[in-house]
Amino acid sequence: MAVSRRNVLIGALAGGGLALGYMLRPRSYPLPLQPREGEFAFDAWIRIGTDGVVTVSVPQVEMGQGVTTLIPQIVAHELGADWRQVAAEPAPVSALYANLALAAKWAPLWMPLLPSLADEPDDLLTRRWAESHVFDVTADGTEIAAYEAGARAAAASARAMLAQAAAARWSVAWEECEVANGFVTHENKKLPFGPLASEAARFSPPSTPPLRPEAMAERPGEFPPGGRLSYPRLDLPSKVDGSWTFAGDVRLPDMVFAAIRHGPIGRKTFLSDLDESAAKDMLGFLRTVRSPEGDAAWVAAVATDGWAAEQALTRMEPGFRVAAGAESDAVDTAMDEALHNADAHRIHSAGDMALVKDRLPIQLGYEVSPAIHVTIETAAATAWLHDGKLELWVGTQAPQATREAVAAALGMAVRDVVLYPVAIGGSFDRRLEFGHAVEAALIAREVGKPVQLTWSRREEFRAGLPRAPVSAVMAARPDTDGQIAGWRARITVPATAREFGRRLLGGAAPYEALESVALDADPMALEGAVPPYAIPNFAIDHVPVRVDLPTARMRGNAHGWTAFFNESFVDELAHKAGREPLSYRMAMLGHDPRLAACLQRVAALAQWGGGSDASGQGLACHVIGNGRIAVIASARREAEGVRVDRLSAVADVGRIVNLDIARQQIEGGLVFGLGLALGCAVRYAGGRPDSESLAAMGLPTLADCPAIEVDFIESKEDPADPGELGVAAVAPAVANALFSATGLRLRRLPFFAEDV
Amino acid sequence: MTRFTVNDRPVQFEMDPRTPLLWALRDAANLTGTKYGCGVGDCHACTVMVDGAALRSCLITLAECEGRFVVTVEGLSRDRSHPVQQAMVAEQAVQCGFCTPGIVMSAAALLARNANPSEAEVKAAIPNLCRCGVQPRLVRAIQRAAAVARREEKIDAAPVPGGSGRIPAMVPDTKGQTP
Repeated sequence: MAVSRRNVLIGALAGGGLALGYMLRPRSYPLPLQPREGEFAFDAWIRIGTDGVVTVSVPQVEMGQGVTTLIPQIVAHELGADWRQVAAEPAPVSALYANLALAAKWAPLWMPLLPSLADEPDDLLTRRWAESHVFDVTADGTEIAAYEAGARAAAASARAMLAQAAAARWSVAWEECEVANGFVTHENKKLPFGPLASEAARFSPPSTPPLRPEAMAERPGEFPPGGRLSYPRLDLPSKVDGSWTFAGDVRLPDMVFAAIRHGPIGRKTFLSDLDESAAKDMLGFLRTVRSPEGDAAWVAAVATDGWAAEQALTRMEPGFRVAAGAESDAVDTAMDEALHNADAHRIHSAGDMALVKDRLPIQLGYEVSPAIHVTIETAAATAWLHDGKLELWVGTQAPQATREAVAAALGMAVRDVVLYPVAIGGSFDRRLEFGHAVEAALIAREVGKPVQLTWSRREEFRAGLPRAPVSAVMAARPDTDGQIAGWRARITVPATAREFGRRLLGGAAPYEALESVALDADPMALEGAVPPYAIPNFAIDHVPVRVDLPTARMRGNAHGWTAFFNESFVDELAHKAGREPLSYRMAMLGHDPRLAACLQRVAALAQWGGGSDASGQGLACHVIGNGRIAVIASARREAEGVRVDRLSAVADVGRIVNLDIARQQIEGGLVFGLGLALGCAVRYAGGRPDSESLAAMGLPTLADCPAIEVDFIESKEDPADPGELGVAAVAPAVANALFSATGLRLRRLPFFAEDV
Repeated sequence: MTRFTVNDRPVQFEMDPRTPLLWALRDAANLTGTKYGCGVGDCHACTVMVDGAALRSCLITLAECEGRFVVTVEGLSRDRSHPVQQAMVAEQAVQCGFCTPGIVMSAAALLARNANPSEAEVKAAIPNLCRCGVQPRLVRAIQRAAAVARREEKIDAAPVPGGSGRIPAMVPDTKGQTP
């Protein structure tokens, strides 16, 4: 996004400070964060105080991905601030922070008929839609793409204004002043930002923000694991002493605590039994609040502490009836039926379709079971209805949709729902859903006091929606040299992205959303299905399927299954052709030197042994947008079975703003993907999951987590999201390693579901 | 009414003595650094020290705390100076931070009884679940904390709470600078 003076707007604030905004935007958007006494605002991004503290607004929710550091880092670099003087503050919901990059990416969800009209962030249509819907959603790793340009422009303008203020004091040309490390300098003269802030705010920004020649970039070689950090994360100090606040940590005067029980997942649920008398003598118990029927019936107990509220519900033994509760057996039947018989939408194709028609010489089936997010933080929200306004403290990836849902439930205007963005305890896209905020608001209305609702772990299992079931028939036609002449993927999956879109953007209830898109083509549910290899003839088909189980997004999203299908299948093709898996892939990557470089580097890192049988090494690679990754899993036989003891990964994520945060994201993605490969699956009967405890989820602990080494290719390409690459690539790498170690081919996620 | 000591202060809770310590700490004492993740002992996010041992506060009742000494993450140090806190920040072995207080308390209890834990001992002492995936960094972070505790190394990674004085070079001082 080009920013020039033409679209920079200057306006005086009540406190005598100064604000920069964009003229392209309607002027009715107020500055979201008012400067405090002794503070001066530079655009919607930066405030500089007379004490020298530079406070950066962060319009994306922190859920561990490091955005609370990344955006301030971009500002600090561009402004010339010292990192020790930089603070971060979550930005309130505002059209000024519309996420245009995500709005463009998700155009199929809000413009399902003609998404190509709005698939670029610069499209006027995208901007209009995103701003008018206050689309501040945090998802799909879009923070750099969406906000770097705006934050840089504001910082560059502020830097010029600081230089002008200093230059005026010194009677020199401002262009000759340097701003670095928190000081404005000219020859031997030097001033910090604090005393200049008020004077700087009176200058005009230059006609074009004088951007530094180089955007913020950390080179891989300069930041070895465990080495010294140039920009340590801003959020960590308060996370190690317990002062970092999640939604369940908010404390308000006179606040009460609520616990909840939900009906089963089904088309209609009813609260059928509740023995209120059983709780009436309990110390601390206050009352119940009911939502007795609908697409999600529930009952809450309110008490002076959360334990008393939980105990009250346990004693009252709430019972629910459900019409058409979710049944995994029925889901399996529907999936199977669709895979074999339903019509497909052709989503992608190239070359000669005659070569990918009918039965191909090699056809193999793969499956992915529904899985749940298993965040360690359970859903929590704090709400207080008073003086015609609802105040809401909640961690959400979709703040405006949360406000709208709450306003609709309470019959209030959206502007009267005040949402305080709170950090999230690991979301993995779980907190794109926000039913708990609506529940907290409804309880608050009945109670008339501030109320904090925390879901028990069991409720998180019961009322959280899983990622979709998926199955695929992968088919190939080898040529005479054993290379791939034709490739076809027939992927059966509910239109899960569209379904989510109907919930998020249309306010639809889960089954209503499912029904409205049931047989639609959903290209977003097949992202990553086009193999990265040069295959002359291919076809990628989507078989939509109606399953009576609503489904949700989850970290990795479609790549979480398409990478598994593609990389397992290509490995099987290599073995069938008697070819070495690495060179087999390399031979098809002449057009993608970046991915080839990842493969070569990871082979060196993991000391790839040629992938011969029983080596115990397995390889996988994948592309997401502009990002690339190659992973080698190393497994070895032990007395009690096979153990994956090492994961080596090399990623190319373009220019890297913060190397160690990128490394955290790859490491974390690998561990999260490993969790999905080994567990996190649930089956439903009567709308209830068959597991309700963390212990049953097979999550990796420290003791059984493989050693992980991550390296990056130095790149000047545009930044790509490192957060989902590891999730996608780890499952096939491990499957391929286990095949190498044991000869057993695992074609189902999670791997050992049959045995459990 | 049970009486015991939390972070060096004598406390008594007007709650059902069967209440697990976790809810007394969070909802009555407002010590919200101790986290609820499951309530049944699976996740270890609610780990605190009771008489020096790492215990899951969701599994111990107020009655069982009678007369004992409880330390929560808020009481581990006044200023994030505990070696485990410093090392967790220095190694960036933290992402979302929800499981972090529990990990910090598990690790602090380990170092209190073992000044130089091996990799296997660290792994055995940290059963805490983390979904963001900080596992690859934990052994190094905790062994580094042990080295600091043995005074073989120094870290100054996590600044003290509150902004005052944290940037001495930036304190406004314009005397002699203005023309």
